Order: sequence, then structure tokens, then C-alpha cells
Amino acid sequence: MSNQLNLPQPKLYRSVIEDVINEVRELFLDEGVDEQVLMELKTLWENKLMQSKAVEGFNTEEQAALQAAAQQQAQQAQQATQQAQTQQVLLPPQQQAPQQQVIVQDPKILQHMSATGMNAATTAATLALPTGISPYQQLITSQGQILQVLRAANGTQYIIQPQQQMVLQQQVLPQMQPGGGQAPVIQQVLAPLQGGLPQQTGVIIQPQQVILTGNNVQQNAQVQGGAAPGGPQQQQQIQQQVQQVQQVQGGAAPGVPQQQQQPPMMLQVDGAGDTSSEDEDEEEEYDEEEDEEKEKDGEDGQVEEEPLNSEDDVSDEEDQELFDTENVVVCQYDKIHRSKNKWKFHLKDGIMNLNGRDYVFSKAIGDAEW
Amino acid sequence: MAYQLYRNTTLGNSLQESLDELIQTQQITPQLALQVLLQFDKAINTALANRVRNRVNFKGSLNTYRFCDNVWTFVLNDVEFREVTDLVKVDKVKIVLPHSSTTA
Repeated sequence: MSNQLNLPQPKLYRSVIEDVINEVRELFLDEGVDEQVLMELKTLWENKLMQSKAVEGFNTEEQAALQAAAQQQAQQAQQATQQAQTQQVLLPPQQQAPQQQVIVQDPKILQHMSATGMNAATTAATLALPTGISPYQQLITSQGQILQVLRAANGTQYIIQPQQQMVLQQQVLPQMQPGGGQAPVIQQVLAPLQGGLPQQTGVIIQPQQVILTGNNVQQNAQVQGGAAPGGPQQQQQIQQQVQQVQQVQGGAAPGVPQQQQQPPMMLQVDGAGDTSSEDEDEEEEYDEEEDEEKEKDGEDGQVEEEPLNSEDDVSDEEDQELFDTENVVVCQYDKIHRSKNKWKFHLKDGIMNLNGRDYVFSKAIGDAEW
Repeated sequence: MAYQLYRNTTLGNSLQESLDELIQTQQITPQLALQVLLQFDKAINTALANRVRNRVNFKGSLNTYRFCDNVWTFVLNDVEFREVTDLVKVDKVKIVLPHSSTTA
């Protein structure tokens, strides 16, 4: 279908990204900014592109980096990997979600994550996600650690921090980042999972509150077998961190459950869930362009905005399933011509965002009647 | 001077957002971010000019046209974008194009 329009798209974008990154690398170095930051920029950039669904494709560099990192850290915690591997096998088949081709990387990711010095518990926790969660992306934080952004079947996204990291370089989970528990911070993941996996060492931040289940954790043998020894010590650390988090989260907790469903993954300002603000934004634009209509219609104008979304299914479901994208074309023109009320456009070098997807053209010719 | 036109695209917006995040975490300076954006402008302009080689036709009805500050903005309704391979229909589309003094 229209999905296939402009297949070379991702490659083009990739090459543009590469070019830009390379060119700014010098700038970064001049400013004395670490290369890591550059990598982070790149990662963030690509992730947003992925999330926008406007472009397909997974960056090969990211894969390469992931592999490299996995190899480097593969030397650690082999014991954990043993436990993990059994789980790993489960994961890949379950992860056949069509959404991301990251499936292939699951084992590597898992190995990496398990190898990064995490205890078996954390590894297990990571692996324990299989039920309906497919790895979405790996993000390389400034510390070179790889976060795994998991995407649950229901569309929400979670971030697993294989290590202490922190922080939020993550655009996905603005909240709840314990300064660095050794245990993964799995938000809400465990709730749906339940199938026996849920309790992991370390911090489990459930929608309603931050719960430290360290005590329970170890006992859940299925995953944790070898984690026991390191458990207690980690728990203490984790408790401290959790407490901090709890304090921070105290205020946020009430609001969290409501928001948990959505914000953890991505603060979508635009999108199906937030048409009201969109309407305002659109309205502002429309006020300029459709003053006459707006003044006459008044509120009707706003009402038209929402129905517009549903009216979008002129042809495909694509029009519906994607958010309320105002289809925009930015380009340059060769010639614009008008005869009475007949307009002819000769455009060039443009990027279009139609129905949420990106298209590119070198030339476009159009007719319109006013 | 490359157009900053393409900053409001998926590519450009995600770049800006990423830069903003880095600024917030104080990993880069706003100055540097600006430099990056300028670099992006150049790169995207070059890429579009050199790397893209496909044509699109479209047909629709014009709702609004505006030419202000040397920038054309059109709002079209019920447009069909047609490429060799496929067809995309949209209910409403906005076309933004700066006046290019060097258009050939």
C-alpha cells in the first residue's frame, strides 16, 4: 500500500543523519563536549524518528554499536548469563512482534545486559518481560550503558536500566529513575507480567507506588537462582535508592497511576490522546488562514477539527490509525502559476509528511483549483 | 545560505528535540545546538538536492494561499499525491515553500 511509497526513504534519512553527525562532531569536540554526547544525540534523534513512524528502518550503526558493547561486556557475570540464557531462548520466539526487527538482537541484548555486571536477578527481570513485551530499542546513555526500551504489547514503553544508570537521557521515562539501582527499574512492566516473573531484585516501581520487593525477590527462584548471594547487599543499596525515589515519587505517585499507562513511554503532546491542545494549536494556525470560516463557524471550527480526523479515512485506514497529523509539505519551488482560479505548482526538493508518514521528492507537479 | 525550512520536518524536529534534551541535561550548550542545527540545514539541503530523485504529482483543490515574507503557504483540500508506485490521499495539506531567488 502506501507504505511502500518512497522505499529509499530510510536510507536517505540515515545518510543525512550520518552526514550531520559527522559534521557536527568537530563542533562538539571544539566545544569540548564528549563524543558520548554526540552518540547520545544521534541515538535520541534516531529514536524519535523511529517513534514517529515516519521512517522505517533501524540504524545499522546502532546494531553495530550494540554488538560491540555486548562483546566488550560479555566477559562479565557469566554465571548470570547461564540463568539468563534459558530465559533468552524464551524471549526471541515470543518477541516476534512485527513492530521491530530488533528481535534478532534479543539474545545479544540480553547477553549484554546480563553481562554488564548485573546480578542474575536483574537479568532475569529483563528476561522476565517476555510476556507481551518486545524490545524496542537500545539506547546508549552517556555512560555507554545500554538501556533497553521495551515496548509492551499494549503499546506502552518501559525502560530497563541494566545498570546503575541513571538517568534520564531517556526521553521515554522522565520519571522514576532511581539514581542507579543495580536492579532494573521496571515500571509497570511487572504488573501485567505477573506470570510468575514479577518479583525481581531491586526496585520495582509499580503504578501506584514505589515498592521495594527486595525481600520477595530472591525467593522467586525461577529466575533468580544464582542471585541470592549478592542479593542482600544489593537490596540495601537498592533500598536507599528506592527511598530516595520514593520521596521523589511521593508527590508523583498519586498522579502516576493515572499517567502510568501512557507517560512512561513517551510524553506525547500530540497524538490521539490529546486532541484538545492540538485543536488549540491548529486553531491558531487556522485563524490566520481561515479567518472567514472561523469567525462564522466559531466553535464549529473547532468541532470540525476533530471530525476531520475521522473524516480522514478517505482511502486507507492509515489515515485513521495515525495521529492527527497536519500533512505538511516543505519544499522549494520552480514555478507557481495561476490562471484565473487554476493554480499550477512546480515544486522541487521537498519533504512531505502525509498521514504521519514521510515522503520525499525531487520534483512535484500539482494542480489545484481555488 | 541554506534554508531553515527543513527544521519543521520529522527529521528536523526530532533533531531539535534531541538537542533540547541535551541542553536540559547540560551536556551541550545552546550555542552548540544552534551550530548543529545550522549544520543540519546545510546537510539536509544538500541531501535533498543530490540524493533524491523521484517525482510526485498531486492534484487537489486549493483552499488558501498566502505569500508573505517571501514564503508561500498553501492549504489544499482533498489532495491526491501520486507517485509512480502509489497514491496517497489526504484531506488537507499545507505546503510551505520559501521563495527561492535561485530557483532554476
